[in-house]
Amino acid sequence: MVLAVHLYKRLMRKGRVIALLALSSVPGLVYWLSSFDATPAQQETRYSDILATAGFSFAIAVLILTVATLREERDGGTLPYIYMRPIPRVVIAAWSIVAGIASALTIALGGWLTSVIAVLAVGGDLSITWSGLSLFVAAAFGYSAVFVPLGYLVPRSLLVGLGYVIVVESILAAAVTGLAQFSIWRISLSIFADLSPIVGNEATQLLGPVSPGAGGGVIKLAAILVVGLAALTVTLQRRDAL
Amino acid sequence: MTDTVSVSALSKWFGPKVAVSEVTIGIGPGVTGLLGPNGAGKTTLMRVVAGLQRPSQGDISVLGENPRKTPAVYKKMALVPEDEAVYERLTAREFITLAARLAKVDDYISATEEVLSIVDLRDSADRQLGGFSKGMRQRAKVAAALVSDPEVLLLDEPLNGADPVQRAALIKLFQELGEKGRTVIVSSHVLAEVERMADRVIAMVDGRLAAVGSVETIRSAMTDRPRQIFVDCSNPRRLAAALIETSGVIGAHLSGSQLRIEASDAGAVAAALPVLAVESGVSMTRLEPADESLESVFRYLVDAR
Repeated sequence: MVLAVHLYKRLMRKGRVIALLALSSVPGLVYWLSSFDATPAQQETRYSDILATAGFSFAIAVLILTVATLREERDGGTLPYIYMRPIPRVVIAAWSIVAGIASALTIALGGWLTSVIAVLAVGGDLSITWSGLSLFVAAAFGYSAVFVPLGYLVPRSLLVGLGYVIVVESILAAAVTGLAQFSIWRISLSIFADLSPIVGNEATQLLGPVSPGAGGGVIKLAAILVVGLAALTVTLQRRDAL
Repeated sequence: MTDTVSVSALSKWFGPKVAVSEVTIGIGPGVTGLLGPNGAGKTTLMRVVAGLQRPSQGDISVLGENPRKTPAVYKKMALVPEDEAVYERLTAREFITLAARLAKVDDYISATEEVLSIVDLRDSADRQLGGFSKGMRQRAKVAAALVSDPEVLLLDEPLNGADPVQRAALIKLFQELGEKGRTVIVSSHVLAEVERMADRVIAMVDGRLAAVGSVETIRSAMTDRPRQIFVDCSNPRRLAAALIETSGVIGAHLSGSQLRIEASDAGAVAAALPVLAVESGVSMTRLEPADESLESVFRYLVDAR
């Protein structure tokens, strides 16, 4: 726990948090700007559509934040202070991912709260926002499980992660049916779609072959977490720490 | 004396560059100096022993365990890394407390206060490390290493940046730890520094072991070796002929207007040279010892092995 708290505090630098909160607030702001004169039904479908599409900005915010979890320690030369401790590598890996998830959830909460404020500002029904929270939380878990190990493993992890979000998640997963099933954003969206009272056309299109289902989505995310944890543990055990 | 740290046929390479080559050593309690010029492989050896880097070949054992396979051994060993890296936003107290808690020290608050006193940082304990001088950072790093009361302490250039008073205090501290039966391995590229604190020296150059033994053994090996002197002069052949009978001269080699002299007693030869040059009617434009650097001394030791 000490390790997770340390890593979390390190990630939550004021300037970075403000910038990433702004990035994760994009869907809420877009919703606010586009829903002033919308009917209640339009507001509901727009909420899901905008979260589904503009929500990619949250994925990028989580990427920027979580790849730094161990990368900053490694690049900054402070990793020995963590690595040279009587802590099994799997525990270091687990607390690192926990720190990544906690920091991503902090940003997620900001993004979701912006969307809540936006719904309130346009006089919409607040009940639609609960499913929005599930989208942010699911994405925070899924992306952290991938980006924390990526940050440790790859020196240019931010670039690689951006490539993954933009090329794989946005373009390839939309074109290749098999790939869509492994897209973290679509898995998160499947949970959101299951819990949301109304799902707009754009959100449905983005989901593509992935069926809405909270249970299935949670299982997939759990599997991604296990794979991420295993990958980070093996990397910590086998690769040079400096 | 039982070895607490043993390294067997250890090599570490990064691509085509061999940083450590076939090193086999055993180190027991007391202070051991790891000596060598910059780039000799000291830091890599330290990192491999610390488990931070995987050996390309060979085995390591610290207190009977391989740190990479058994992280529990880190309860009994600590490293002070060479680079200045610290958590700049943490205060010295926070940094050391973090180290203590991660090392699972039961009473981490008392342990932190104790090591802060040992390294004389109590007055600055609540200042951020980012505002510390290099010497103060070194002391904070030493405190963070000492907080778990390790049996094996690896110190990579721990005196870098420390002022003379701090140096003396740190040297005394390392000696005390050695006297208490701890295994303290201190790397440095300064022989005089190592001489002040270590009973035993491991000299490295080009990734290989150059010499292992007491400081006296190393010093004597360095004194016994022939030295080279370069002379630029108007007539090197005539000067070489005049020199050859001089005591302390082992050989003379001609190369254009340059004369390379091999001497067993470089001081005597250097003193005799101007006299011989005047007597032979040769004018000298340069007289320079060729191999006075520590690196060349160590290279000689390697070649002599």
